[in-house]
Amino acid sequence: MFKYDENNKYHRFGKTVMIVILSLIMFVELWWILSLLANTNVFPTPAETFDALIEFFENGYSRQSAGSIIWSSLRLFLQGFAIALVVAIPLGLFLGYSKTLNTFVTPMIEVLRPIAPIAWAPVFIYGINYNVGPILVVFIGIFFPLLTNIIFGVKKIDPNLIDAAKTLGANKTQVFTKVMIPSAVPYLMNGIKVGLGVGWMCIVAAEMYSPVSIGVGYCLSSMCQNSLWPSVFAILVIIAILGILTTSVSEYLQKRIAKRMGIE
Amino acid sequence: MSDEIAEKTGTREGDDFIIIDGIRKVYRKDETETVAIDRVDLTIKKGELVSIIGPSGCGKTTILRMVAGLLEPTEGRIVIDGKESKEPGADRGVVFQDFALFPWRTVRRNVEFGLEVAGIPKEERHRRADEYIDLVGLSDFKNAKIYELSGGMKQRVGIARALVNHPDVILMDEPFGALDAQTRNLMQAQLVDILNKTEQTVIFITHSVDEALFLSDHIVMLSKRPSTVKEIIDLPWPRPRDRAAPEYTALRKRILEELEKDNVLYHK
Repeated sequence: MFKYDENNKYHRFGKTVMIVILSLIMFVELWWILSLLANTNVFPTPAETFDALIEFFENGYSRQSAGSIIWSSLRLFLQGFAIALVVAIPLGLFLGYSKTLNTFVTPMIEVLRPIAPIAWAPVFIYGINYNVGPILVVFIGIFFPLLTNIIFGVKKIDPNLIDAAKTLGANKTQVFTKVMIPSAVPYLMNGIKVGLGVGWMCIVAAEMYSPVSIGVGYCLSSMCQNSLWPSVFAILVIIAILGILTTSVSEYLQKRIAKRMGIE
Repeated sequence: MSDEIAEKTGTREGDDFIIIDGIRKVYRKDETETVAIDRVDLTIKKGELVSIIGPSGCGKTTILRMVAGLLEPTEGRIVIDGKESKEPGADRGVVFQDFALFPWRTVRRNVEFGLEVAGIPKEERHRRADEYIDLVGLSDFKNAKIYELSGGMKQRVGIARALVNHPDVILMDEPFGALDAQTRNLMQAQLVDILNKTEQTVIFITHSVDEALFLSDHIVMLSKRPSTVKEIIDLPWPRPRDRAAPEYTALRKRILEELEKDNVLYHK
C-alpha cells in the first residue's frame, strides 16, 4: 500500500504535480459548465476550442500559417525586449551610480511611468510607423520595470564590497565593472522577469492597432469581427501558453544566474 | 618632511613604519558638529601587531577607516613607510568584520581580486593566490562558492585576500567579532601562526580584552568619545601565548576596569 512521505522529495514533487493537474482539470470542467450554461456562440466549450486550435495549426488564418503568425508576434516581442535591454541596462547602472544624475532624471521618468504602455500604442503606430510602433510599445512595457529594478540593484550594493574593492587597489572603473555590475545582475534578472510579463501583454494590444500586423493580436481582433468565437478562444489559449513559456524561461534563468552569482 | 614628523612625534627616523600624526575627526551635519576623534598620535614599527581597544562607540573603526584611506581625517595625517596616505590603495589591506567577500566569485577569484585589478597575468595570479589559500588552510576549497563556507572559513578567505597583495599593513576591523567563541580562538591561533610566517604589520581593532592580550605587541587604549589615546600597554611576551598565563590576569583586570570607567552607561 502506498504511503505519502513528506520527507521524500519525489513524494513532495508528485503531490505538487497531482494538485496542479487536478487544478487544471477543474479549470476545464468549470469552463465547460459555464459555457453550457451560457449557451451562446460567443463562449465555446473546451472541446470546440480544441477543435479550432487544431484547425488553426493545420490551416492557419487569413492565408498565413500558424507558425508565421506566432513568429510574427514573437519577433516583435523579442525586438522590443532587445531594445529595452540595450537602453535600460547602461542607463539604470549610471542612474544608480550617480546620485545627481538620478535626482535629475527621476522626475522625467516619474512623469512618463504612470502612462500605461498600451496608451502609447496608437501614438507610436499611427504617429511613427506601422512596423516599428508595436516594437516600441513592447519596449516601453519592458523598459520601466527593468530600469527601476537595475537602479534599485545598484543602490542596494553592500558599501563594504565597494570599500573592499578600493582597498584591494581597484580604481573607479574597476569598482564599477567588477563590483557594481555583478551586484546588480540579480536585480536585473528580476526586472527582466517582471518586464517580460508586461511586454507580452503589450504586444497583443499593440498588434490590434497595427494595420499591417499578422500576429496573434491581429488574429484576435479579426476573428472577433468575423464572429469566429472558437478560433478566438484558441488564440487566447496560445497567448496564455506563450506567456507561461516566457515567464518560465525567465524564472529558470533568474534562478540559474542567482546561483551563479552566489545568492542562494 | 619625515624629519619634521620625527621631531613632532619624538621618534627616530627609520624606526617607525606607520606614523599616525595628530589625527582628528569631526563630523559635520547641518549645524551639529560631532567630534569623533579628538586627537590620536600613534607610531607602529614594522612587523608589529597593535590592537586598538576602547569603549563601544569610541571611534576605533573611524581610525581604521582613516588609515585605510576610506575616510579623510579633519586634521593630521597618516604616513606609512614615508608616504602620506590619503586614498585607499593596495598597500593597506583591510579585513572586514562582515568579511565583505564577493559572493559571485569563488574562493580563488576572491583572493585574486587585488592581483586582477593590478593587471597581473592569469597564471601568476593563480600561483600567488594558491600560495595564500594554502597558507590559510583552504586548499580544498579553492573553487568553492562563498555561500558554501562557514564563517571562520570566510574570514580566512578575507585574510588571504588581504595578504596576497603584500600590503605594508593589514587593518583588521573586529575580524573575528562575527564568529562563535570556539572558532574565534582557533582563528586567533591561526592568525598568530600566519604572522609568524609573514612578519606582516597589523592594526587590529577589537572589543575583546582577551583577544588583544593573546595577539598584540602593544595595546592602544582609547578613551570614550571624543577619543584620545589613554594609554599604550606593551606586551613583550613572544607568541604563541598561553591564554591562562598568570601575568595576564592582573593586566586583564586593569584594562577591563579602565574600559568600564569610560563606558557611557556608567556616566548617565
